[in-house]
Amino acid sequence: MIRFKNLVKRFGERTVLRGISLDVRQGEILFILGTSGTGKSVLLKNIVGLLRPDEGEIWIDGQEVSKLTEEQYLPIRKKCGMVFQHPALFDSLTIHENVAFGLRRHFQFSEGEIGAKVKKALALVHLQGIESKRPGQISYGMQKRVSLARTVALEPEILLFDEPTTGLDPITTNAVNQLIQDLSHTLKTTSLVVSHDMQCALSIADRIVVLDQGSIVALGTPTEIKNSPVPLVKDFMAEVHS
Amino acid sequence: MMRGLRGFIQIIDEIGKALLFLSEIIKTLLFRPCRKSLVFEQIWHVTVESFATTAMAGFFVGAIMAVQFTVQMKEFGALGYLGGLATSGTFREVGPLLIAFMLSGKIGAFTSAELGTMRVTEQIDAIRCLGADPMQEIILPRFLGIIVSSFFLLFLGLLMSVFGGMFLGYSLAGVNPEEYVRHIPTIITAPSIATGLVKCFTFAVVLATICTQKGFYAVGGAKGVGKAVVSTAVTTMIAIVVMDWLTSFLGEVFLQMAIGS
Amino acid sequence: MATKSPNRIIRWKETLEQLHFIANGSLSIIVFCVCFAAIVTIIESSFHMKIVIQNDSMVPGFAAMLILRELAVVVTALLLTSRVGAGIAAEVGTMKVTEQIDALKMLGIPPSTYLVIPRLIACIFGTMMLVVVANMACLLSAMVVSNSYLGYPPAIFLTAMRRFVQFQDLILAVVKAAVFGAVIPLISCYFGFRCEAGAEGVGRATTNSVVVGSIAVIVLDFVLSYAFSYLY
Repeated sequence: MIRFKNLVKRFGERTVLRGISLDVRQGEILFILGTSGTGKSVLLKNIVGLLRPDEGEIWIDGQEVSKLTEEQYLPIRKKCGMVFQHPALFDSLTIHENVAFGLRRHFQFSEGEIGAKVKKALALVHLQGIESKRPGQISYGMQKRVSLARTVALEPEILLFDEPTTGLDPITTNAVNQLIQDLSHTLKTTSLVVSHDMQCALSIADRIVVLDQGSIVALGTPTEIKNSPVPLVKDFMAEVHS
Repeated sequence: MMRGLRGFIQIIDEIGKALLFLSEIIKTLLFRPCRKSLVFEQIWHVTVESFATTAMAGFFVGAIMAVQFTVQMKEFGALGYLGGLATSGTFREVGPLLIAFMLSGKIGAFTSAELGTMRVTEQIDAIRCLGADPMQEIILPRFLGIIVSSFFLLFLGLLMSVFGGMFLGYSLAGVNPEEYVRHIPTIITAPSIATGLVKCFTFAVVLATICTQKGFYAVGGAKGVGKAVVSTAVTTMIAIVVMDWLTSFLGEVFLQMAIGS
Repeated sequence: MATKSPNRIIRWKETLEQLHFIANGSLSIIVFCVCFAAIVTIIESSFHMKIVIQNDSMVPGFAAMLILRELAVVVTALLLTSRVGAGIAAEVGTMKVTEQIDALKMLGIPPSTYLVIPRLIACIFGTMMLVVVANMACLLSAMVVSNSYLGYPPAIFLTAMRRFVQFQDLILAVVKAAVFGAVIPLISCYFGFRCEAGAEGVGRATTNSVVVGSIAVIVLDFVLSYAFSYLY
């Protein structure tokens, strides 16, 4: 599905990713964990071509994508939905227009179909009746959910989440995690979730990757990770047990 | 010495970045033009936003020049020329410069703050992920909108400066408005107005390029947005001063050529 | 020193650092800009002097007057509004949104005196010094250009200048500078302290301080010029 081959990314003098090789399987929920600044978000942005790797290859559905031009990347981005760390809603548009934005770019739907799809996407994240509001008028948690709806509305095959629960209260956090699980079951999507929440990774992930200093230090199912001897993973586990 | 050299390289770097960005914008304009309604929306937005500020700045610039000239003209007993001289002085030198400074603060800072916010809150990344081209959707309409409306606003500011001068001439020196206006045509000629317009247009392009570029490439959260705004304001002002000189210089050269031939 | 008495009104070290940022940091930009502005003044005024009185013998005096009374001080102040004013607004605004201002309050340090006073003092003195330098640079480049472009050697320039301007013009320019130097940081700090959350808030605070700052400079310049016109 997605395959990284020896991926290296530098920012000037600083090497952020030091040779990542990883296979993501069809339909799984893969959590990418690590402390702040270990290049988790950078890895995600490399998949959708917002950043390009300095070395190595990225294969998506049997196609090498790291050298594609911006236009050639469009079909890949159509396949991938990315939920950003910030809600990243467009301030000047209403909620309805925000969710419809991608639908209008990628497909030739009639207004009625778009309306129905927007409603459906918002219902998936348990939001109703806010279509005509602006992002500034709803709470942060709602903004995050709208941004999720905007991505899901396109029915992507791959969902990328950049810290979906950071800055949310525990109740909304649970709702979002539940949502990730539901989506991957109902829509059969492959999900990559960047997070530092080991607790929810253990409960909903199929597999977990732990990054440290730009390299993979542990990879496995939640059970394997629980018993991992790697010190960083143990620190994460200690956090969960306390 | 090393510091000076590095500063020099940095300046070249800035110029290069701005020109590359400009060529990117022009490429977008030629091959992937944006919807016209977006441009008009921006023109309307920018003009409404800055109308009052520019008019006020223009009025006071004219008034300042009139104050300075009144004192001199009184000494020479040539108050009749006040209108012509003050207007010409404002129109050709101080006016475009100060009003463009004003606009670079107003429009430039506003636009780069807006774009910078969109960048650091990942809205620009989101646009790319949703399959749209940010150059086409965001930058181009703003670029064109700023050029058209700041050209218009500069001209408005200059007109207001005439009123400012007239008002001051009347209240300070007792020159009545008809007398003030009477001498304007003898001093302000077609080439004067042409240089003024060329200057306004150049300033508009410089302003639009720099503020969109700085905003578009902002990095690093709230602090980064602040930094982008500061550097927009400073860079635009320097660029405007240099362009002011360049247009005056080239205008003079062309004038000499026209007279010579 | 600072740890001994955190509540003292003036923090000299901080003030000197600010002075370095304001004066030293802006010096090259300001000299560069006023020199170009002076060149433009000479070229343009010779252009319309030729039209009005058919010769350009008045240009040096006229340009010197314009430079000393308006151009140098206003261009300097506007540049400072964008470099220093916007910088202060962005800095204070960032401190506000990252809750550093609240942290200061919790430590019992009044943020207004802690942040504003050093910047205010530094900006007043910095602007006064910068304006003197700017005037000198401006006159010098005007002299050079009128030598090469109009063919008036420096001696004639200075004699012609003497009829139009006096030493008090420089003093008045410095007075103007002090006023602008006081207004710029006050406006910036005001918007910085009122900054709303997020990147958007910082952007808005910075923009507002540039806009209000430049308007204030232009309006105050008018008021001061008007007042000074009774002194000439």
